Amino acid sequence: MSPLASNRPAWSLQKRLVLAFGVLLILFLGFAGIVLDRVYKESVAAAVEERLQLRIFALLGVAEEEETGFFMPELDDARFSQIDSGLYGLILDSEGLEVWRSPSALNLAIDTTVIMRDALSTGETLYGSVSAEDLGELVWARYGTYWENQDRNYSFVALESSAPSAAQIREFQSNLSLWFGAMAVVLSIAQYILLRWGMRPLQLLAGDVSAIESGDRDQLQGHYPSELQPVTRNLNMLIKSERERQGRYRTTLGDLAHSLKTPLAVLSSALQETRREASLPPQQLREMEEQLARMDEIISYQLRRAVKSNHSRVLAKPVPVAAVIHKLLAALGKVYRDKAMQVETSIADDAVFYGEESDLTELCGNLLDNAFKYGRSRIGLTVKQEARILILKIDDDGKGIDEQDKQWVLQRGARADTVTTGQGIGLAVAVDIVSAYGGEIEVRRNDWGGARFIVRFEQA
Amino acid sequence: MRLLVVEDEDLLRARLVKALSDNGYIVDSATDGKAGLFHACEYDYDAAIIDLGLPEIDGITLIRTIRSKGRTFPILILTARDNWTDKVEGLDAGADDYVVKPFQIEEIRARLNALLRRAAGFSKPALEFGTVSLDTTARQLRVAGADVELTAYEYKVLEYLMLHPGKVVSKTELTEHLYDQDHDRDSNVLEVFIRRLRQKLDPDETLKPIDTVRGLGYRFNVPSGK
Repeated sequence: MSPLASNRPAWSLQKRLVLAFGVLLILFLGFAGIVLDRVYKESVAAAVEERLQLRIFALLGVAEEEETGFFMPELDDARFSQIDSGLYGLILDSEGLEVWRSPSALNLAIDTTVIMRDALSTGETLYGSVSAEDLGELVWARYGTYWENQDRNYSFVALESSAPSAAQIREFQSNLSLWFGAMAVVLSIAQYILLRWGMRPLQLLAGDVSAIESGDRDQLQGHYPSELQPVTRNLNMLIKSERERQGRYRTTLGDLAHSLKTPLAVLSSALQETRREASLPPQQLREMEEQLARMDEIISYQLRRAVKSNHSRVLAKPVPVAAVIHKLLAALGKVYRDKAMQVETSIADDAVFYGEESDLTELCGNLLDNAFKYGRSRIGLTVKQEARILILKIDDDGKGIDEQDKQWVLQRGARADTVTTGQGIGLAVAVDIVSAYGGEIEVRRNDWGGARFIVRFEQA
Repeated sequence: MRLLVVEDEDLLRARLVKALSDNGYIVDSATDGKAGLFHACEYDYDAAIIDLGLPEIDGITLIRTIRSKGRTFPILILTARDNWTDKVEGLDAGADDYVVKPFQIEEIRARLNALLRRAAGFSKPALEFGTVSLDTTARQLRVAGADVELTAYEYKVLEYLMLHPGKVVSKTELTEHLYDQDHDRDSNVLEVFIRRLRQKLDPDETLKPIDTVRGLGYRFNVPSGK
């Protein structure tokens, strides 16, 4: 993944599912609506056509031939006799001339050429629609007949207003939209509930992971569905092995320190004996001692740098600062018992450090050790938590650090004093830890005239 | 002063034992934690030097066990792990100070001196009782402001008595803390040292610094100046 892409998170699963389901719902309901609408319209039209056909057969049944046309003694449907009733009958000859019209069609004014446009053989029926002045849209059926006595072809036409069927269709359509709308609402609610239910394990997982990040938990503990179990199992194993790896790394380095430093101690004591016995020229002895001291310095510094964790905050636990400080003060109090230092502390109980406890111990241990070492009679220690910022202030009443040395003392990897064992290393390691956690360290002169180290960590 | 050194590296142990013996200490040594624990529980020591990386029983556990058995003598840790987590763990387990490897013998000697002094309740390097002052760093006795020369054995006897002021110290205890195990324990020799010390400390016989408690032993008895 490119760094740019990783900055912009991908769409959430919920968003994707909602969108996909929404589009699907619209497409499905739309398509189903169109199909249903068309089928209904066709069935309504078929019913109208069938009705008209029946009316034509009824006209045919009562039609009596006359010399010049037809006589219709009694019409079975009263609507043929009632003016503007919506049902009209016509008999047209082969030229399209009107031979008869029902009494209902008194006001009917239509263009019969529209009806007569297509040729029609006997016994066939054609359907169509035509618009009439005043009476609106009409649906017509035309049936071809042959009268032997007259040797002439006639077309029997029945017309019906399309308004009732149009109204029927409109009602159907409005019913359809109402039902589909209700269905869309119900399905959307169901989808929301299903999504919530289906996504719960993932939300649980996210919650569990952030609990691990914040150090409230060691492992993923939720009861997960079978699809997620391989993931959570692997994640748990990964977390465990990573923690073990860090622990092992530290142990290995400790062992390495032990196995390197013990021979150095042997060499060093051998040299001291040599010096006492004066069995080597002093110049050579000094060179050897210097080289030995350098080796020791290098090993100490590099090992202590390496022992500090690789500041992986993901698996970091919140370390209560007060507990670490109190342990260190008890230990240092023992070591520097003769100095009878007066230690003034102001430690916020809720102050926590997000990182490895060993890193915090190392950082505070080194700064406090320097304070005990260089302070004359008193040490001040303040631990504060201001919003997301952890602040450590360590004061001593020693000589302080000269202005020209300040920059260089706190430079990462730099050593203020390459001669005095311990001091430079301690501070350099402290600076390393602070910068590994993205914190800040500064040194000032305090009211006692000694050094004040201020360390700040911005924590999530 | 009888010391216990627990260190698994043979060369280093041998050199430590030699250097400390040269400085007048009686030194027992053990090569692993188990042997160290046996010694610490079986004999009465004035101080112990314990390496943290030991076979059988590691240093931290050893120190914790020694303390849980009610042994209160000061313990100096030798550690190769120069990090605060380990140091704090060791001190928390019951050790009193630490020295990081490699070290100078002088450093060990100075730390031991301070530990022994502190264990006896003295906060300053010199043990002061009225006009008598014993500088444990320089190994120098001063009486009424004047330096008094002592032999190595005289110093050892006096230092032990002064570190246990007002307490009756038996001849056996003195012998155990001042001589090697194989040494011929002739109590007459001890009487000779005490007599010489009395003469050097109190030529006028006005102070009477060392009492003989018949059948029990000796007691350093000068009003405290600490």
